[in-house]
Amino acid sequence: MSGVRAVRISIESACEKQVQEVGLDGTETYLQPLSMSQNLARLAQRIDFSQGSGSEEEEAAGPEGDAQDWAGAGSSADQDDEEGLVKFQPSLWPWDSVRNNLRSALTEMCVLYDVLSIVRDKKFMTLDPVSQDAVPPKQNPQTLQLISKKKSLAGAAQILLKGAERLTKSVTENQENKLQRDFNSELLRLRQHWKLRKVGDKILGDLSYRSAGSLFPHHGTFEVIKNTDIDLDKKIPEDYCPLDVQIPSDLEGSAYIKVSIQKQAPDIGDLGTVNLFKRPLPKSKPGSPHWQTKLEAAQNVLLCKEIFAQLSREAVQFKSQIPHIVVKNQIISQPFPSLQLSISLCHSSNDKKSQKSATEKQSPEDHLYVLEHNLHLLMREFHKQTLSSITMPHPASAPFGHKRMRLSGPQAFDKNEINSLQSSEGLLEKIIKQAKHIFLRSRTAATIDSLASRIEDPQIQAHWSNINDVYESSVKVLITSQGYEQICKWAWIAISFPLRTTFAASHVSWSIQLQLNIGVEQIRVVHRDGRVITLSHQEQELQDFLLSQMSQHQVHAVQQLAKVMGWQVLSFSNHVGLGPIESIGNASAITVASPNGDYAISVRNGPESGSKIMVQFPRNQCKDLPKSDVLQDSKWNHLRGPFREVQWNKMEGRNFVYKMELLMSALSPCLL
Amino acid sequence: MGVTCVSQMPVAEGKSVQQTVELLTRKLEMLGAEKQGTFCVDCETYHTASSTLGSQGQAGKLMYVMHNSEYPLSCFALFENGPCLIADTNFDVLMVKLKGFFQSAKASKIETRGTRYQYCDFLVKVGTVTMGPSARGISVEVEYGPCVVPSDCWSLLLEFLQSFLGSHTPGAPAVFGNRHDAVYGPADTVVQYMELFNKIRKQQQVACPQEW
Repeated sequence: MSGVRAVRISIESACEKQVQEVGLDGTETYLQPLSMSQNLARLAQRIDFSQGSGSEEEEAAGPEGDAQDWAGAGSSADQDDEEGLVKFQPSLWPWDSVRNNLRSALTEMCVLYDVLSIVRDKKFMTLDPVSQDAVPPKQNPQTLQLISKKKSLAGAAQILLKGAERLTKSVTENQENKLQRDFNSELLRLRQHWKLRKVGDKILGDLSYRSAGSLFPHHGTFEVIKNTDIDLDKKIPEDYCPLDVQIPSDLEGSAYIKVSIQKQAPDIGDLGTVNLFKRPLPKSKPGSPHWQTKLEAAQNVLLCKEIFAQLSREAVQFKSQIPHIVVKNQIISQPFPSLQLSISLCHSSNDKKSQKSATEKQSPEDHLYVLEHNLHLLMREFHKQTLSSITMPHPASAPFGHKRMRLSGPQAFDKNEINSLQSSEGLLEKIIKQAKHIFLRSRTAATIDSLASRIEDPQIQAHWSNINDVYESSVKVLITSQGYEQICKWAWIAISFPLRTTFAASHVSWSIQLQLNIGVEQIRVVHRDGRVITLSHQEQELQDFLLSQMSQHQVHAVQQLAKVMGWQVLSFSNHVGLGPIESIGNASAITVASPNGDYAISVRNGPESGSKIMVQFPRNQCKDLPKSDVLQDSKWNHLRGPFREVQWNKMEGRNFVYKMELLMSALSPCLL
Repeated sequence: MGVTCVSQMPVAEGKSVQQTVELLTRKLEMLGAEKQGTFCVDCETYHTASSTLGSQGQAGKLMYVMHNSEYPLSCFALFENGPCLIADTNFDVLMVKLKGFFQSAKASKIETRGTRYQYCDFLVKVGTVTMGPSARGISVEVEYGPCVVPSDCWSLLLEFLQSFLGSHTPGAPAVFGNRHDAVYGPADTVVQYMELFNKIRKQQQVACPQEW
């Protein structure tokens, strides 16, 4: 122990005094440590003076007696001595145990230090790690990543699947609910299409056009009722609807307005018996609920009633040349003589009775769908006028009406201008005008078509314009000869080459073009040469006119042909005053002479009398001429003499112009 | 709206106003004009109220409010040599509200009523000018519809007037003289009527003793 450096150890006793009490302000009152005398007194109290040495012996005898039981007597005596020695030592030094403990600690520390210094040199002692299991191969971190990714993905997938499950559950629930359809959701759907309001405990709706501008006094109220007559025990049917609508009784069923034009006037007794045909109900959209179809049908009935009421009111109020007849649900008027227009309101309810009676099939061919559609449109237009932006908003001091009417005062409009602003035509007048126009147009088309099919030479073509007005249509009628439509253009070029630079291109093509404007009551024809002719609605007039034009065309064609063939036109007249009088139009005539002057052809064509062609021969070719002394010289025999008629029907050629061309070429000698 | 000439036809010697009017209308009908209804032009006079005149004591201006049946929804308000306002018929109601500023001279309401004739492009109106119950004169108005520039058609109008008025054909109206090439408007017609009415009023004042 003397070789080891002394280690200084500082010892400090815990002078913690015991706390007697803690005051209210936190101060601690310490117990005074015991003084020497007090300590002695405390120790003295511990001694049990009553036992004395005898008790010590007894104590020694105690363990002695025990020892004798186990071991021999010799060992017990040694133990007794050691015990006696041990009892003395505690009074030697109070820090002894502390010193011993510290000493042992120091020893241990020195040993540890020594071992560590030897191990550091690694000459005599080394530290060897504890052998572990073999290191796994290098893929270890990657598989670990893979496994960890898999796990995390599985976790995410789990969450997503849970969410998807929840969604599918809610969707199936909704679908189930749709089928079941509770009252409120159905009511919501109804409210998206129709106006509803709550009156007391009833829900009422409005299916009239009043909010769209109508002035019809019908209330148009329907009631929404809950459908509670289902049997919950039975299976709910497919088309079950918890909502039902009740429409007013006079709007039940379906209605439409039948507009038809008949040629013959009916008997008085037949008035009022309108031929209804039960029009098949328009197919409702596949997804629409039954109340929608019901309400739409009722609204249609209401509109038809309003249209008919307006028409009948106008028919009675406004005076026209031929009065309109209003009987029950039919209005009859006569736009043209021998023509009857009937407008009737056909309202068929859904009773079984009427279904039975309507089994007889009526032909719906004479029903003009266009006019019915137009009636609906006109009514809606009338509605819009009451709500249009022209009338609203307007100054408080101005009356309702067209905006321009407000300017009529300050700008001093006279009566004509004021009348032009105000539309004074009613619904009935408009529809009658439209009907007249439709009828006139169809009849004109029929006339032209019948003429075209009946007469082959010349040909008549009609080109109808696609863009028409409600009151006006137009058609272009061409009269041509087959095979000779364009020839004159070529002929013009050929003739103008040698010297004739000033060539009057009077007819560029041989066709006669007529532009027909079909109005409400009249047809206006504009001819190619500028004439404007107004025809009335009689179809005979148009037919006669076209026939006369066709006959004139033939003669014009001869004139053009003469130019091409080099024949000289001697005379030409559109309206000859000679020969038999035509009942339709006038006959036209032309005389042409051959290039060398030997022959002449004279043509007379009338719409009724047809064509008459005569050829004039030179005198020396006619054998049956009487000889006379008047002609001294033989040169006079070269002049043209008498006429001979050509049997045109035996002439070869498919049409008039072709035949004429053959005749002309036959009479012109070849110059070869 | 075409160029219009308003003139006065003096009453024929020894005949009443009505007879002269009848004479004229017969002439027109023989000419070939067709009757197309009646017309009326009336005029009310208003003074500017004395309260607005100020201390200088100016003479109150006269304002005329006229109506013409040719322009049924309009009302014309004009001063003597001043502007002419064309307004809505609500203007009459407005005048009632402006009673404080314009006082009507009630006695001088004057109007002319008569028949309207159409002769191709010409519109002829022959009317009796009345003030109260008595007839004071005859007004003749001729309008040539197609033209709106006075200088272009004055000679045509003059010729037409000569054809049935004869020696009583008037000269060119004063309104033409101001702006020869400007467009003629309804206001000019009304100004002519105003001048005519003023002339008749003055005439009558002179000829008053001979009235009966």
